[in-house]
Amino acid sequence: MKRRRRTEILIQSDSSLARSFAEMITQNHECQEIVAPQYGLTMIKMRESAKNSLFYIGEVLVTEAKVEINNQIGIGIVVGMQDELAKHLAIIDAAYKANLPEVEEWNPQLQRAEQQIMSRRAKEQADLFETKVNFETMDV
Amino acid sequence: MGYVAVKGGTKAIEASIERLKYERLKDEEILEVNTILATMKAMIDQVMSESSLYSPYLAALAIKQAEGSMEEAVFLMRAHRSTLPRLYYSQTVEAESMLVERRISASFKDIPGGQLLGATRDYTHRLLDFQLIDEDQSDNEQWLRDYKDKLAATRAQNEVQYFPKVVDYLREEGLFEKYEKNNTDPDDITKQSLQFPASRSAKLQVLTRGQTGAVTSLGYASLRGYGQVHPNVGEVRVGNLPIYVAHPNEMEQDEENEFYIGEIRVTEVESFVPVTVKNEQNESELEFEIGYGICYGQNETKAIAMSILDQCLEHPEAEFPTHDEEFVLLHIDSVESTGFISHLKLPHYVTFQSKLDSVRQVKGGDKDEN
Repeated sequence: MKRRRRTEILIQSDSSLARSFAEMITQNHECQEIVAPQYGLTMIKMRESAKNSLFYIGEVLVTEAKVEINNQIGIGIVVGMQDELAKHLAIIDAAYKANLPEVEEWNPQLQRAEQQIMSRRAKEQADLFETKVNFETMDV
Repeated sequence: MGYVAVKGGTKAIEASIERLKYERLKDEEILEVNTILATMKAMIDQVMSESSLYSPYLAALAIKQAEGSMEEAVFLMRAHRSTLPRLYYSQTVEAESMLVERRISASFKDIPGGQLLGATRDYTHRLLDFQLIDEDQSDNEQWLRDYKDKLAATRAQNEVQYFPKVVDYLREEGLFEKYEKNNTDPDDITKQSLQFPASRSAKLQVLTRGQTGAVTSLGYASLRGYGQVHPNVGEVRVGNLPIYVAHPNEMEQDEENEFYIGEIRVTEVESFVPVTVKNEQNESELEFEIGYGICYGQNETKAIAMSILDQCLEHPEAEFPTHDEEFVLLHIDSVESTGFISHLKLPHYVTFQSKLDSVRQVKGGDKDEN
């Protein structure tokens, strides 16, 4: 599974999923910390819809971590102050880059978690739809 | 302006800072950061927006430290921001990817996808709720249980719905001009000071981090005749936008290999502004343009006011202050304006002394003549 999809699942789902994957890797492989979880900023580039141009809306606080496994560097980046999750994401990223055998087993779990996220979001949206409004104009 | 240094007062300053702490602690109540985070969402959104730093937790901490002073909380956040490294730039965020929780139009009642009130105070009675004085945790838990039980019956669709932009339909009808995607790198006013005439990207960056009150006041001034923009709100939407970051070292530019890093909650507004243009026959025609507003968190008044000012600044008019980009952009920043006003409290003994001497000289001269 490619990085965009798997990072979204790992960040959106319960953090225990990332922890269990990362622990599986650190138990079986040597994992070296390159950058301990640190706080920094990501500048957000937005497209405005009046003239379709770009501008910077502002920065978001992120936690970043880097690790090395089998000469492959993995990066973990997540919005907010989340040291543990950033490190787990870095380990998982390195595991994918190094093509470790464990990653083969993760796809079904990631897909299940993705399904749960989608169901949760759809349910939250359905709850919000209770506030759908139908205004009617009145003849005066 | 030249400043003259003063010295002294070390013990008094230490005592003053101690006094400040005493004032915060003397009533022996402690406000937890998490309590602010859970119950002061509008304030947190405002601090994040004006400080240009998205971090609800840090905003709650700043509010606690500042004892609720918005200008101080924003100052603290801006100062903290300056201590952090900028690690990444996001990939372009397209607002169509917003997971909408509120979406309304004041221009069309039947917008494709429908209108969603979400959570809003727009239709509440503005009466003080005295029941909140004796709010009880167990009562709140019971209310939450009942609310969730009520929602249990709602049926979800298989997929999450993303809402189209109202303006896209109007563009398809030819009612608004279509613009190709302009991918020119934006200016960044945090890296390079604002130059005039300002680019569109710089203007939008200053407006979105403007002080809520200042942006609202100037937007309001435009409506009242100190400007020439009076829009219809086409669409207000509040929701979460996903943020993606490219890998810093991988050469291959594969969108699927970007990092998803989380989401931010924003309010976005498109206002429809009637403008008069000349057609090919040199006749005056009415057209619509779009004023754009966006800010961190849920702050619809600020986003609407920003959309008015965006249009004002796109059409410079010498006679109206709200159309003057230097007037607007140089006065709406919280730290700049409050910092400059409050510096007047600090010692100005030498500058005032020189003015006093001049006045005394003039007055003394008058006496001699008499």
